[in-house]
Amino acid sequence: MSRYLKSIWKCRYFWISLVQMDLRNRYRRSLLGLGWSLLHPIAMTAVLCTVFSKVFGQDPFEYAPSLLVGLCFWNFITTSTKDGCQCLFQGEKYIRQFPAPMAIYPLRTVLGASFHFLVAMLVVLVLRFSFKGFGGLASLLSLGPTLMLLLVLGWSLAVLAAFSTAHFPDVLHLSEVGLQILFYATPIIYPANVLQQRGLGWLIDYNPLASYLHLLREPLLAGHWPEFNMILTAEMSTVFMACAAMLTLARCEKRIIFQL
Amino acid sequence: MTSIDLNDVSLVFRVRQNRRVALKDFIVNRMFLRSVNPFMEIRALQNINLQIREGDRLGVIGHNGAGKSTLLKLLGGIYPPSGGRLKVRGVVSSLFDLSLGFEPEASGWENIAYRGYLQGETPHSLRDKMADIAEFSELGDFLNGPVRHYSNGMLVRLAFAVATAIEPEILLVDEVLSAGDMAFQKKARKRMEDMIATARLIVMVSHDMQSLLKFCNRALWLDHGQIQMIGKPLDVIAAYTEAMNSPTIPLPAAA
Repeated sequence: MSRYLKSIWKCRYFWISLVQMDLRNRYRRSLLGLGWSLLHPIAMTAVLCTVFSKVFGQDPFEYAPSLLVGLCFWNFITTSTKDGCQCLFQGEKYIRQFPAPMAIYPLRTVLGASFHFLVAMLVVLVLRFSFKGFGGLASLLSLGPTLMLLLVLGWSLAVLAAFSTAHFPDVLHLSEVGLQILFYATPIIYPANVLQQRGLGWLIDYNPLASYLHLLREPLLAGHWPEFNMILTAEMSTVFMACAAMLTLARCEKRIIFQL
Repeated sequence: MTSIDLNDVSLVFRVRQNRRVALKDFIVNRMFLRSVNPFMEIRALQNINLQIREGDRLGVIGHNGAGKSTLLKLLGGIYPPSGGRLKVRGVVSSLFDLSLGFEPEASGWENIAYRGYLQGETPHSLRDKMADIAEFSELGDFLNGPVRHYSNGMLVRLAFAVATAIEPEILLVDEVLSAGDMAFQKKARKRMEDMIATARLIVMVSHDMQSLLKFCNRALWLDHGQIQMIGKPLDVIAAYTEAMNSPTIPLPAAA
């Protein structure tokens, strides 16, 4: 295990420069640069906020940042999974020439996705400071561990997606369907309390993704520390996914080249 | 001390008759207990016993599909052995599939860096070598442009320049002496000779018997994934050429 981590660290310059290249290629194609990747979630937030703040009876100034956090979180999850499906094929030319640890290819995907996520979170912070002032700043400290959890979660998703796609080509399509269903089962566009009022609270209680959203929204938007049981749920889900990813790596890493 | 030990090593490719099966087909077919996608086993390497010691320059010969490149990739850690024990002591550098592995959108300089890092360079160590690599490749201003505009020959030049900028311990070479145009080939040959002189252990695959005779002190003849003969280059090459010229080529038992 520590030897494996060391081998990932040893080729850090390689995967770091690939992440840099991915980001550069993405922004090079657009005039707006960084703003381009923010345009989609912000436009979606604007549209959804106009409609659903009325439907759910929410204050638009509360609802918009919450929506933006939800959409960006979701974007991170889908990008990690869907780009994760392709990451081994994307790195195939290197895999065929150099025996580097396979974990770096999903890592490349997730670090790219994390960058976009972080930029979006900065926008959320600006919104929060301008709408709600500077109360509850200390609770922002909890975001550090939360982001680590998200990074591990994204990497695990990418590993699992990558190795299953290498065996079955339709995993990308199936995961798109699955993610679409999960999107509506997660309190992204609707506030959590709306479900609880209508007796659908169990949907949130049994959905671990809701706990990550709680961990993000409470400190970012309300200035509160997250609830303990939510932290525990998020941690346990992350550990579970990470274990699944590491088992997959341990079992399949050496032989995956025969599937590419 | 560098060494490579192969103890009864074999490598079996399990090739599927159809390409990859969709997960939904897999699940549906499993429910009806049908074999989804029968495997076809290809024994690429069989019962290879081989000791390579420090100072050895081993040349590998054999006809196409005999398993020469597969053997190199196994030694380089790209393929895991299906059976037997493989032990490699020393840092391996490999020269194969040279024109693969470029990022088409990135510039020549950036691609030098990516490959360099993958070979274990650091930004610091690479800085000293960058100019040398650029000069050796003779690509000049082309290095500033994206690699997608390069010709195949230019790609090979670039790859060769990066790959040979290392000081290897164990060097695995797969048929790269024929890289580039005439002028470059001459240069590449010189560079290879230098590397062969400094590397502590070399395994090279080539169809060029002259260079094998020149560079190697041992030779290995592979046939259908099995060792046919191993010994002094002159003897092995003589036996190999004779077998190729004689009408009855000794065929091993069908795999």
